Amino acid sequence: MWNSTAKHPIKNILFIGAGPNGFGVQGENDAAIYQVLPELHGLGYQVFVIDDNPYALSLESLAAQAFWQPLTVENIKKIIIQANIDTVVATFGGRRSMQIWEALAQDWQDDDGPLPQSLGLANPVVAQVNNRAELSTLLTEAGLPVIESEVAATQDEANELMRKINLPLVIRAQNPIQSHTRQLVSRLDELEQAVAEVRAQSLTAEVLISKAINGMKEIGMEVVRDFRGNCMQVGTSEDMDPIGIHSADSLSVSPVLTVQDPFLAKMRSYAFQIANLLQLEGLLHVQFAVDEARDLIYIIKVSPYFDQLASRVAMVTGYPLALVSMQLMLGTPLEKVYLPHDFNEKMAMMEPMMDHIAVKLPIFPFGDLAAAGVKVNRQLGSIQKSVGGTVGFGRTFVEALEKAIRSAHFNNRSFSPTYMAHISDDELIQQLIHPEDNRVLLFIEALRRGYEVDELAELSHVDEFYFYQLQSLIEIETAVERHPDQADILLRAKRSGLSDGLIARFWRTNFESIRQLATQHQIEPTYKAVDPSAGEFPENAHQYYASFEFEDESTRLSDQSILVVGSGAYRIGETVIGGYASTIILSELRRLQYQTVMMNNNSQDATLLPHLSDKQYLEPLEISDVMAVVDKENPKAIMVPGNRRKLIRALKDLGQNVLVIPKDKHLPGGPGENQSEFALNFFYDGQQAFALNISQHRDGELRILPQTDLDSVDLKDLSLPGPGLFQLVFHQQVTQPVAHVNLADWQHDSWLRPMPFGQIAFLSKATGVQWFRLVVRALLGQLGEGDYRLLAEAPACNVFLNQRMINARTDFQLHLQPEGDLDVTRFEMGVRVAPVEPRSHESE
Amino acid sequence: MQRHLILEDGSVFTGEGFGAPATTFGEIIFDTAMTGYQETITNPIYDGQMIAFGMPVAGANGIHAEANESMQPTIRGMIVHDLAEVSTNRQRRMNLDRFLKQYNIPGLYQVDTRQLIRHLRESGPQRASIVDYADDHAFDQLIATVLTNKQVKNTATPKAYANPGRGRHIVVIDFGLKHGILRMLDDHEANVSVLPYTTSINEILTLDPDGIILSTGPGNPNSLPESVLTLIRVLQTKAPMLGVGLGHELFALANGAALTALPAEYHGMNHPIQEIITQQIFYAMQGRGYVVDDQTINHKKMFVTYRDLVDNSIQGLRHRDYPAFSVQLFADGAPGPTEANVVYSDFFETVEDYVEQHS
Repeated sequence: MWNSTAKHPIKNILFIGAGPNGFGVQGENDAAIYQVLPELHGLGYQVFVIDDNPYALSLESLAAQAFWQPLTVENIKKIIIQANIDTVVATFGGRRSMQIWEALAQDWQDDDGPLPQSLGLANPVVAQVNNRAELSTLLTEAGLPVIESEVAATQDEANELMRKINLPLVIRAQNPIQSHTRQLVSRLDELEQAVAEVRAQSLTAEVLISKAINGMKEIGMEVVRDFRGNCMQVGTSEDMDPIGIHSADSLSVSPVLTVQDPFLAKMRSYAFQIANLLQLEGLLHVQFAVDEARDLIYIIKVSPYFDQLASRVAMVTGYPLALVSMQLMLGTPLEKVYLPHDFNEKMAMMEPMMDHIAVKLPIFPFGDLAAAGVKVNRQLGSIQKSVGGTVGFGRTFVEALEKAIRSAHFNNRSFSPTYMAHISDDELIQQLIHPEDNRVLLFIEALRRGYEVDELAELSHVDEFYFYQLQSLIEIETAVERHPDQADILLRAKRSGLSDGLIARFWRTNFESIRQLATQHQIEPTYKAVDPSAGEFPENAHQYYASFEFEDESTRLSDQSILVVGSGAYRIGETVIGGYASTIILSELRRLQYQTVMMNNNSQDATLLPHLSDKQYLEPLEISDVMAVVDKENPKAIMVPGNRRKLIRALKDLGQNVLVIPKDKHLPGGPGENQSEFALNFFYDGQQAFALNISQHRDGELRILPQTDLDSVDLKDLSLPGPGLFQLVFHQQVTQPVAHVNLADWQHDSWLRPMPFGQIAFLSKATGVQWFRLVVRALLGQLGEGDYRLLAEAPACNVFLNQRMINARTDFQLHLQPEGDLDVTRFEMGVRVAPVEPRSHESE
Repeated sequence: MQRHLILEDGSVFTGEGFGAPATTFGEIIFDTAMTGYQETITNPIYDGQMIAFGMPVAGANGIHAEANESMQPTIRGMIVHDLAEVSTNRQRRMNLDRFLKQYNIPGLYQVDTRQLIRHLRESGPQRASIVDYADDHAFDQLIATVLTNKQVKNTATPKAYANPGRGRHIVVIDFGLKHGILRMLDDHEANVSVLPYTTSINEILTLDPDGIILSTGPGNPNSLPESVLTLIRVLQTKAPMLGVGLGHELFALANGAALTALPAEYHGMNHPIQEIITQQIFYAMQGRGYVVDDQTINHKKMFVTYRDLVDNSIQGLRHRDYPAFSVQLFADGAPGPTEANVVYSDFFETVEDYVEQHS
């Protein structure tokens, strides 16, 4: 009865990558592709990847042949023919890949040969899923509860629909372009502008109008299905904030805590029905709106492809979702899925259970923008404003929440109990109704001022559960404030996830004395495994998070381990690149046969993938968190990004062997208008500097000059902190790309800085040398003869000079409504590569 | 107030007391499900037991009348990691804490439940007690305690009652049933008579049932009187029969199979269960301390219909000669996945066939 989508034999598989990063597209798709490539390679398939994101790890995988090209129908088609591709995977690259694949399928001519099959979803289903109206009809006809929407092509039709459906309405684009939004219309006079704006986001100038369901609870569910129709639930997530606030901008909690079992069971059965309806193999994310009091559930989004929920669910449950999905797509029955890397053999078919709570906190760019003097609209709504997120793990909601907040690396002031004390009662009410970032702090302030829980729940449409939880957090903070230096209070505070730094601030002391008090009273973290069986079976666990309980499950990995400290959440101007760097570093350490321990809290990159390191700590990266892991693991060396100066100092004070990856504290920078920033890039092995090449950064574009005569610059007297990649930089009034610069200019007005990670990623692709690997080898004193030969020849071997890196066109107007233009050079959200001479067909 | 859970092997787990401040004794088991705390604590299969929950927080959904699986919980204790104070009851601001107080059941929270579960997974079920002081006296009391084996008697109805409907007449033999069974029968509009398990064969046949259900229930199936097995052996020849949970175990015993006590009981909803004939996989709530021993099945009389793919345990049996079958899992989905509801649909199809043939 069930048919595998892979009707034809599979030999050559092409992955369509996710393209540049931006709002809603971080590193999760690339990480998923990167994770499955070695497995497919191991199964004997020929694997190919196309992507134009220079930060894509999959392009550097040894298991696949990479095409570093703009993601266009034309390019993909060429690869299919040239590489004899019989099978395409579009679902791992996400929504954009699915759209490109559909466009290609439509464009395909008979004389092009047979159209490759698509894995996971049959070609006609891809088209169905891409078209919202068609998908909605499909679900409605199957009797599934969707909010019906109707299409309007003109303002008049929209007016007519408004009278029929009644306010409030939601307007979305039919056949949307990449950056699209949903607009809420609550007043008559808002309709016209909303329709105009959304029509502009539709490839067909059509809008979809439906009833607004603001205020309902929003739930995400991730399921998988095999070719026989066997379905399994992998994980759930609930948004603290109601529908009306974009799910990415909401605080989200896994597992779902506040929805009763029968409602979850119903959503599960809807998700399974949809999976069967689409005949999909692999994974499916369904987003629901639920109102228990009125016994209502709506299906609001169907994503049969890898997305942010998929990567978060994999992280918080410990279930290897990408690997399992890949096998299901290849036609393996659920009970036969084979898991590599000493996973429990039956884990794939057991629904993951959680005995911990994971809280995702969105990261907003407002602070970074304000620091740079840019004002934007901070009000949250149906348009995504967050640029990333962190995940906090704990045994209670409060503990997980505190750890997520700490992972977000707010400065100390922003989670101070007095942070919101200045706002007036009117403002407070206004913000309860018209939410901004800092939601949790606002709720805490409201509770402090004596607002009742049911009152707040009604105003904010947030479940009472969360207010009770925040109340208990206030009680703990108050107790800490009132009882300085008490060990029992310290234990309570640590159990609630408070950092040594915050407690120190309450007690007007420093974190060293907090650590002392903790050590005196044996208040030490107990690490718990992220174990999908919730304790039922002994798992070969590798992932841990700290709690303050009785049993510590983590034992020291070895006396030869290297701890790699990650870079946490994405921020504007510095998106996935920290994750890229950590991943390559881990990969190199493994190649050099070190045992590695990774520490990070970002669910949207590859750093925490189980096959990259021997052990992972899913933890905030404050000094106290890192110190605790160092105590536990006593590693041989610790790799830390150079911008963590306080941490580096604290670790060195403890006598630890700290290996610093040179990196500046991120500041929005770059050349000004009518200027170019020239950089002489060089590698320093700890003793000697080797000039590599010269790059020009201008107007959101970075390119490497074909110049090879670099000997004349004197790099001898530079004072460098340690091995790594650095650059000498200077600005010049040049607006055109140049082929050559006068090296004499470097003798004055230039300054030295570590090479930004993003430029290293580009350089690695442009030269075919993974430069982070050389940095690692230099830090460990393991540069070989081959490395030195390469360094000597580097200036003469600029391999892919026909490529440049350009900033992706992020629609800041749409997402952030800044006052004035936002310069993408300074506020980078994503980059892509392009041929040096842009051709006319190249478009986003 | 700080209280303790003590186990017969000498271990002590400390937490904060909630619910009733009572000192109780019972057998402790663990449950890894993430939802359905109210359904679970009111399920009579846990009569006389203490439940350690793996879910990180209990109480977050409040207490709902429709989530009860019996009129009142009869567990001896509830061990959770974190407790939420949410109440959804319009009249009484009832929450989990008050609910347990009302039935004089103690609870313990802020326990390292993960440590406890990992401990129980190795040790298997043990006698346990919730106490104020974990001293020698408390352990002496615990060791001296003899736990009851009369759980079925404690929870099953002593008197017959009806749940009238307009459909087929289904007799439920009550061994301590969970309400989910009645809800399933209600979905099929059945006319239901719930009878004590001590009812005579004659009385049952006088009711002329269209189908018979052997209900779920607590305790050790071997401790029930032989008369129950005789009753099953006779009734399975007279009308379609479905055994669930304890009912399944009794059905197996009545047909000559033996049961094996599990080294660690399984209470959860995450194991894949495969229907052998179709290879379809589904998930369902399970709560079992015993499984039917594969070696003891008389294959001339019965065959296996479902298996748990994790431990390969028998999850369903069917009689070759009669329209009688059984499932180990709880097919009613309260709490948990509802995919196994099809078991009841199968049963009603069997009932329809039977009625057609015998009219």
